[in-house]
Amino acid sequence: MDNKKIDSLLEKYWNCETSVQEEKELQTFFSGGDLPEEFRQYIPLFFYIRDEQSVTLSNGFNERLRNALEGEKRERYITIRIFRPLLRFAVSVLLVIGMGVSLYFISKQDNRSHFVETFEDPNVAMQHAAYALEKLSHALRKTETASMETIHFIDDLDIDWVALDSLNRINLFEIDSVKSKE
Amino acid sequence: MNIDSFHTVILPLKDKLFRMAYGIVRERAEAEDILQDVLLKLWSKREEWSYIENLEAYCFRVTKNMALDKLASMAVRKTGMIDSEKENLFFVDHRSPYTEMERKEQRSAIDQGIEALSENQRLVFTLREIEGMSYREIAETLAISEDLVKISLHRARQKMKEMLSEYHKDGQ
Repeated sequence: MDNKKIDSLLEKYWNCETSVQEEKELQTFFSGGDLPEEFRQYIPLFFYIRDEQSVTLSNGFNERLRNALEGEKRERYITIRIFRPLLRFAVSVLLVIGMGVSLYFISKQDNRSHFVETFEDPNVAMQHAAYALEKLSHALRKTETASMETIHFIDDLDIDWVALDSLNRINLFEIDSVKSKE
Repeated sequence: MNIDSFHTVILPLKDKLFRMAYGIVRERAEAEDILQDVLLKLWSKREEWSYIENLEAYCFRVTKNMALDKLASMAVRKTGMIDSEKENLFFVDHRSPYTEMERKEQRSAIDQGIEALSENQRLVFTLREIEGMSYREIAETLAISEDLVKISLHRARQKMKEMLSEYHKDGQ
């Protein structure tokens, strides 16, 4: 490669206009010995790049990684094995406590009566009951009277119930024909 | 996407992910620990892979975030320090006409130049120069726009060029 081409490539390199391939060409050029004086100042940079590219993991790394990965799996297994009896115990305790609490509340509910006696004297109870029934009877009577009044009111309106009933069955044309008959 | 993705997509990325973590924390052992944590985390979330649009970019993002967290938690950032393994890299090229001392000095200058870049510039620079990623791949990996990738890379390269010129002048 002639010096002019290297010079031009270097110029492109400093301006970030070189491709990856052209940068490789420069690296190859600078790794050769006996370079022209004008390019020597750039040698340290390309030596640095070549040195850094040759940095690799140590030989024992793969072994260490494999052990670490296996160790992680084993650790999980051991953790489960250690905690399994404890988990069983915890579940049993929770079950017993849960059943105890449930039984306590159920038995408490059974003891509680739904109707509580609040009157000591039967006569007073009778009076209260009679009063409540009288109120109920009064309310029913009032409702019955109101219903009868409504029925009488509707009767007084003199509605043609036959025509109204027929609305559900016939169309508007038929209604007109009924009216014309009348 | 199924469990096989771990072997077909994620594991083949491990060297690239390692270099990304290493580029951030600059310590080999720390970077390996980060990568192991990243891979374990990804494995533990395997049920969620099918919901991830770009698993590769996701792996890089997880690595970047975990490496930055680790860096923040490290008490002292060992700027410019050279660990023994990195030091060995300086002497791999026996064809070089430069002496060991010169290469050490040059490497130190480059490390300082990289260190002077902003976090975004450094990440973009690393993904382009070391991993040879396209602008689009870098944009997806870092969840930024392609324009921002180009701007960051341009600034990073310009800074490195200035630094190299200064270094060259001082050496003469």
